[in-house]
Amino acid sequence: MSQVIATFGFGPFDMNWLSTALVLTTPLLFPAVGELISERAGVLNVGLEGMMLSGAFFSYMVTAKTGSIPAGAFAGIGGGLFFGVIMALLSIEAKADQIVAGVGINLAGVGLTSYLFDQMYSSGTQIVVPTVTPLRIPGLADIPHFGPAIFDQDPLLYIAFLLVPVSWFLLKRTRWGLAVRASGELPAAADTAGISVRRVRWFSVLLASALAGVGGSYLVIVDVGIFHQQMTNGRGFLALVAVIFGRWSPWGVLGACFALGGTDALQLRLADQSSVPHQVWVILGIIAVAVVLYRAVVRRRIARPLDAAILVAVAVFGFVTFAVNPPWDLPQQFWQALPYLVALAVLGGALTRAHMPAKLTLPYRRGEG
Amino acid sequence: MTRAIRAKFVEGGVEFALSVAVAIVALLIGLLFVIASGVGPGTGAKAFIDGAFSGQLNLAGTLSKMVPLTLVALGWIVAFRSGRFHVGFPGQLLFGGLVVSIVALKPDLPIGIHLPLCILAGAVGGALWAGIAAWMWARRGVNEILSTLLLNLVAIQVLAWWVRQPFHDHTTPLPLTPPLPSSAFYPTLLTNTDLHWDILLIPICVVAVAFILTRTTFGFELRMVGSNPHVAQHAGISPERIGSWSILLSGALAGLAGASLVIAGTTPAMGEDFGSDYGFTGIAVALLARNSPWGAVPAALLFAALIQGGGVMEGTVGISSSLVDVLQGVMIVFVLAATTILYFARRNRRRVRPPTVAGPAVPNEPADATVIA
Repeated sequence: MSQVIATFGFGPFDMNWLSTALVLTTPLLFPAVGELISERAGVLNVGLEGMMLSGAFFSYMVTAKTGSIPAGAFAGIGGGLFFGVIMALLSIEAKADQIVAGVGINLAGVGLTSYLFDQMYSSGTQIVVPTVTPLRIPGLADIPHFGPAIFDQDPLLYIAFLLVPVSWFLLKRTRWGLAVRASGELPAAADTAGISVRRVRWFSVLLASALAGVGGSYLVIVDVGIFHQQMTNGRGFLALVAVIFGRWSPWGVLGACFALGGTDALQLRLADQSSVPHQVWVILGIIAVAVVLYRAVVRRRIARPLDAAILVAVAVFGFVTFAVNPPWDLPQQFWQALPYLVALAVLGGALTRAHMPAKLTLPYRRGEG
Repeated sequence: MTRAIRAKFVEGGVEFALSVAVAIVALLIGLLFVIASGVGPGTGAKAFIDGAFSGQLNLAGTLSKMVPLTLVALGWIVAFRSGRFHVGFPGQLLFGGLVVSIVALKPDLPIGIHLPLCILAGAVGGALWAGIAAWMWARRGVNEILSTLLLNLVAIQVLAWWVRQPFHDHTTPLPLTPPLPSSAFYPTLLTNTDLHWDILLIPICVVAVAFILTRTTFGFELRMVGSNPHVAQHAGISPERIGSWSILLSGALAGLAGASLVIAGTTPAMGEDFGSDYGFTGIAVALLARNSPWGAVPAALLFAALIQGGGVMEGTVGISSSLVDVLQGVMIVFVLAATTILYFARRNRRRVRPPTVAGPAVPNEPADATVIA
């Protein structure tokens, strides 16, 4: 078995990759779960990127000042909440356009963090803050091969992954979850039933911004220990994509975040390779075949002949290149853009908006809904 | 003066006053930041005003920065009027510049032919990059704001590759293209400054966009699709077709802005990420202008002065030029808040149409749309 793993040495069997993928999934998962709840309540929060940056900066600032990691994590929550309050005021109280408000928050987040960082830390060498030490889960971490990669990680990572079943339970099995979903689907009915749409939406927006702040602070207090300008690098946008790709369900969001985080990890592993490794082509082929089979067998239909033709072409291409193994050299920038390209492909292929909350982006006014 | 025209003037006056108020409040907040960093308010304000307007060099810098800002703002206005919120200006601007570099470097032509070709290349490049988002929106139902946010990030990488691999100047280790020939450049308007003849694009494009929006069939259809896609569809106007064209036109304007940054810039060669910031600042310009093509000019002047003055201020009194980015966000937030105040103030007098900025977003699929008004 280990022989097989060693020779394949890639994808889910590559423990370095898996470990990195999990670490890179976490900062996507925090904001994505929050965004999921906010969108289910009917508020599209495009300002995630700004909130993450704000969380990252304030947790860096506080950790650098106090040396305490928990204080830094709470500062990250505060940094996210600061913009969350603005977002809630604009989208719920002022009934302003949510997308424009989100764009404004992103700009303000980039500006504020860059400005404060310039003013406070531009001189001298950068302070490196302490980072969270891994929490080894006894027993599970001793599982051969997979154990260390999955169960010897930082506590925040476990919390992020636990958020998925928790949010699923809250959304699907509690009165609160029903109130959230009603506020996004049919706020007038929720209002009639005595639910305060305003309060539900306020809570959801604040929750999303707090989680975005945690996601941002994760980058600082777990990943790198430093802050740099625009360090979130589009992760807030990827989290938005993950919610759509995950079809507004917690488990779907988990899968989507892992796919995007995994691509990011792949990108890191491949950026320094001179040519595209053999296995990439295999995986490409396997994915294409799996999609074709899923469409043909499970859904019992191929949506359009063109789609099918494209998928078959990709599959054939994957296997031919696997057989030939061409020494193609792709530039580093391609690998860096890969997560965004995957996200674009996912958006283009997601096709259905059947699961989208009906009143997403629409403000609720009593007597008009 | 008829009553209707007078009412329109009053309305325009109120909106103008509101924008001025927002700008003043934002500038005061900027002043607070300046005071908080330990610089006297008088010193800070003077450093800023000197940096933006004093002397030929600074004034030319401010005016030249107006060009990309106005063009991007016009791009936002065109897309916004058709109900499409795309934020792909940074990417379209960069890709426009990339296409300009192809045309600028290849042929050996007189300036009378070369320069127009380069300008055209910028517009085509911007439209091409916008075309991806337009196609994804019209054919695949992909929300244009998400696709353009991602395409911006991709464009930065494409350009980073472009100036390192295929169009790299091998005489330098820096990521730069070879120097572009002078026949590709806009001539300078004021020697030894940044001010080039591309400043003419401001009046040309403002008038063109205002004309297209208010005096052509396309503009009418565009505004109709933007204000009510159902009615437009019933009238036989395809929201997908008009929406796509408006995204393409908006991308072409952003591409023109990118061309200006490359062939009316200070350096002869094109580097990576030569000005994607303008792509976002232009949105703030358009919102401060309350989506009016005419208003975009004074709003662009304000932001150009902020960028120029802020840049100089960083050198003279040591305040980070990122303050400009803070003020952008602050202005957008205040514009939204002010729009809402205006809406409720008007509604108390009479039932009127929803506000232009704070109105309900038009959902992507007309079939899903339930317009609350």
